Amino acid sequence: MNIDPIPGNVPPTIPPRTPISPAPGLQKLGENPEEREPIPNMVVAIEAVLRQPRRIMYQLRQPGSGKLIGSMLLATIICILVYGLVVGSFSMHDQLWAAPVKLALGLLLTSLICLPSLYIFTCLSGSQARLAEMVGLLSGLLMLMTLLLVGFAPVAWLFSQSTNSIVWMGVLHLLFWFIAVFFGLRFLEAGFSHTQARSAAGLNTWIIIFVLVAIQMTTALRPIIGTSKTFLPTEKRFFISHWGDNLEKAAKDSRSPD
Amino acid sequence: MTSLATNGISLGVLLRGDLDSLTTWLSHWNGRRLAFCLAVIFIGAGCYGAAMGMWRAPLQALYVAIKFPLIILLTSLANALLNAMLAPLLGLNIGLRQSFLAILISFTIASAILGAFSPLLAFLVWNAPPLSATAQASATYSFIQLLQVVIIAFAGITANVRLIQLLRRFSTGRAAASRVLFAWLAGNLFFGSQLTWILRPFIGSPGLAVEFLRKDALHGNFYETVFRSILYLLTRK
Repeated sequence: MNIDPIPGNVPPTIPPRTPISPAPGLQKLGENPEEREPIPNMVVAIEAVLRQPRRIMYQLRQPGSGKLIGSMLLATIICILVYGLVVGSFSMHDQLWAAPVKLALGLLLTSLICLPSLYIFTCLSGSQARLAEMVGLLSGLLMLMTLLLVGFAPVAWLFSQSTNSIVWMGVLHLLFWFIAVFFGLRFLEAGFSHTQARSAAGLNTWIIIFVLVAIQMTTALRPIIGTSKTFLPTEKRFFISHWGDNLEKAAKDSRSPD
Repeated sequence: MTSLATNGISLGVLLRGDLDSLTTWLSHWNGRRLAFCLAVIFIGAGCYGAAMGMWRAPLQALYVAIKFPLIILLTSLANALLNAMLAPLLGLNIGLRQSFLAILISFTIASAILGAFSPLLAFLVWNAPPLSATAQASATYSFIQLLQVVIIAFAGITANVRLIQLLRRFSTGRAAASRVLFAWLAGNLFFGSQLTWILRPFIGSPGLAVEFLRKDALHGNFYETVFRSILYLLTRK
């Protein structure tokens, strides 16, 4: 007996594939018309980095992106000077100008030191990004980071007026800095994901380098929170040994009777 | 009252968490609504503060009635910029004005609840023995302290439940709303705790004079004190 379970007439129809719209992160930059709108000034750049980061990423690929990069760097310098003023308000006097200057210098130096390795690592990862685009993404990272630091400024100011502990203030500023850097790096990674890189290993390595250089810069330019007779330190140290000594000193002070 | 109701300005709208009305509040804000929220915060939190301070002295009640709403408003204002930046970064595309108002609405709900509980607290304090050095160590003191924690926690939780419902209305996913709420809560708690520490005393101490701010208000901070207390407990022999 020949039993054929499949009816011999029309084969079952395959349901038509409904087009699935890709998630915004996977869309090609510039597909959304809003992303193609130019960014004429610093205020729009600030708004865009918070709400439409893809608009900045797209504009960085367009000719004449230098103006946008300049706006972002200007915003970065203004924001870091504002936050530096709050950092300096802990010790007052000379630190009111020294802390903003040191923080701004430190941030720009860190970026300059790390920029070549960023470009090399991204190229090694197969990225098609030009140097100008990477400079732009790095500027975006710095702008977002310093904007968030300005957001933290009222909290930092309140604490700087109500404690005498340098260690406490150091920990607090580091905490704010890490949160700000986290969001800044997220912007950089999002921008990097559109550069056709084969892997993110190079960028991840660079992130470690960037964080280490930035932290060491705070030790190289110390004191930023406390006071000193000289503008720059006379003794060279690594940040781990500097932090260790400060923690030890703070522990000793807390044990000693008032 | 009718005109207030027709404009959608009523406590019921806030307490019920009427999402359509609250969404309109955020989208089409006007000065009357802002004034309404500020009034509820000053009256609600002020009454609760007065009930809290009256155990020590009438002057202490007046001081706390001023300080309690101040904490709420200063926390909202100081963190406004940060909260507005965190919202879009965590997936909720709302602006500075909307994020500030959303937080202000949640504080308004909390203040209304606190205000409603203030007669109960005042009655309890009125019936309690006078605050004295011995009373501070007594069961009454502990009970009143615990009750205040319960009332404030209830007001805070209810306000945040309303806030997350509102945030979900503005977000595309539940996760984004939760992330934003968590970040806002962390920031507001961090700043608010320190501000509360600076503006102490609230209940007051019988051994110390009644004053608006302690002389050492700006010496030390809340977290350092907690850390030192833990260290003391761990290293005590």
